[in-house]
Amino acid sequence: MRIRTFRKLCRDAIQNISRNRVMSLASIIAVMSALFILGAILVLAFNLNHIAGGIESKIEITAFLDPSVDNPKAEAIVEELKRLDGVYEIEYISKEEGLAEWKRDLGDKGDLLDGYMGQANPLPDKLILNIENPEYVEDIIMKLDAMPRVDKVNYSKEVVDTIGRVANIIRTAGLIMVILLVILAMIIINNTIRMTVYSRRREINIMKYIGATDSYIRWPFILEGLILGLVAALFAGGLVFGGYILLLNKSGTMFGGSSLLNLFRLLPVEAVMYDIGLVFLLVGTGVGVIASALSVRKHLRV
Amino acid sequence: MIQFKNVTKIYPDGTKALSDISFNVGSGEFVFLVGASGAGKTTAVKLITKEIEPTQGGVSVNGRDITKLKKREIPHHRRGLGVVFQDFRLLPDKTIYENVAFAMEIVEARDRDIRRQVPGILAMVGLGSKADCFPDQLSGGEQQRASLARAIVNNPSVLLADEPTGNLDMETAMDIMKVINMINHRGTTVIMATHAGEIVNAMKKRVITFKKGVIISDREKGGYYNED
Ligand SMILES: Nc1ncnc2c1ncn2[C@@H]1O[C@H](COP(=O)(O)OP(=O)(O)OP(=O)(O)O)[C@@H](O)[C@H]1O
Ligand SMILES: [Mg+2]
Repeated sequence: MRIRTFRKLCRDAIQNISRNRVMSLASIIAVMSALFILGAILVLAFNLNHIAGGIESKIEITAFLDPSVDNPKAEAIVEELKRLDGVYEIEYISKEEGLAEWKRDLGDKGDLLDGYMGQANPLPDKLILNIENPEYVEDIIMKLDAMPRVDKVNYSKEVVDTIGRVANIIRTAGLIMVILLVILAMIIINNTIRMTVYSRRREINIMKYIGATDSYIRWPFILEGLILGLVAALFAGGLVFGGYILLLNKSGTMFGGSSLLNLFRLLPVEAVMYDIGLVFLLVGTGVGVIASALSVRKHLRV
Repeated sequence: MIQFKNVTKIYPDGTKALSDISFNVGSGEFVFLVGASGAGKTTAVKLITKEIEPTQGGVSVNGRDITKLKKREIPHHRRGLGVVFQDFRLLPDKTIYENVAFAMEIVEARDRDIRRQVPGILAMVGLGSKADCFPDQLSGGEQQRASLARAIVNNPSVLLADEPTGNLDMETAMDIMKVINMINHRGTTVIMATHAGEIVNAMKKRVITFKKGVIISDREKGGYYNED
């Protein structure tokens, strides 16, 4: 194709958009709405995934060390446990700290514990292992049980299972919504483009009869699909991110410092922006171009 | 120039539109295809533009059997023909100038040639002042002039016209015939399908008369025969 021909095809595409203003605007709005809904669902799904991760990270295993273990040995054990898969944090509470904490909790009556200070301290050293994900729990428990200096291991199998189940349900629900919405957006975009092409099928016919090649006829439509999809994706992106930033500002003041509610704190806009932007561009322009090409082809068969 | 050799056309639904038709049109000739509605005139035109294929027989243009053309050769074949229809078929979103220029753009003509040639052709068909109008701002006669300008801008060897005056009143129709006659005088072969008897009688050209898919007469300087 010659450069001047390509220039003409681009000019035709832009001219078609501006001279079919109403149709173009209607298509942009339709595609933009489809992408906007998809974007809203994506934001929701990303946050649900984040919440699922947050819930999973609440899994803890508590282990008590044998009373004969002294401080340096306890630290060696902590180091060893840290190397296990799935352990992302270990909190070590020595028996002294444990007693002090207990005493603090008793408040006025803390004096009752005075007799247990020092050698008489009945408490064992305590380790709290934070686990990334329920999958790792079984393995870690087995390893802990096998360690001679670890006395007793506490965890609730039920809690771990429930957490795993809830997290999975949340993730699956998010994924299903996203898949459905991607399909829905594709259908809407495809239909919109097909309608704009259909409204100009006569033109396609005329061009064929004066001897235009199929590709000469097709290109302006493909470029139009690309431009419409791109513009719609940009506007949809603006709406979704603008809306999300507003929501973030509102919700930021809602949850104070509470750590449970922290779990439900929304992701920052940077964490969702790039992925969603990419999805918009791919779905908007990709479906725009493919739908144009396919529907023109249908009308070219004369 | 154009040759139909024992052409039979049966549409997929079984309608036999042409049966065993043969005729020749020489270079520079002006020929009317006439006959009652459904006689097969449009079918004959569509065979030349390769919009449809003959069921039997051969159609050749400029000595080339067009039934043997490959699909990708069709656009090129059509560029050698100028075609006008009863309903004008101008591109509605382009101005008259752009409609005519478009025919040159698809053959990748140079911008300089387009800018030089299009105004000349528009002036020739009497539309010099309407170049920037859109088709729906023109009268039927003016739209048909624009369509003629587009048909001849690439200097085709043949002009095919299917009922070009069908939507026009008599006076406008005669004006259009003058333009078509002028095009013919420039050396372009003209084949025009019509059932406007008055026009045919006034023009005194070769007339091929169709009836129910067969040629019933072919006369030089003929007249229009309704039902022989
Ligand atoms: N696409 C088609 N499918 C089936 N039959 C068709 C088709 N096109 C035309 N016909 C039939 O073929 C016959 C010839 O039609 P054609 O259009 O060639 O006639 P015509 O002489 O141009 O008539 P008119 O003067 O009304 O334009 C008619 O009986 C018509 O019904
Ligand atoms: Mg006809």
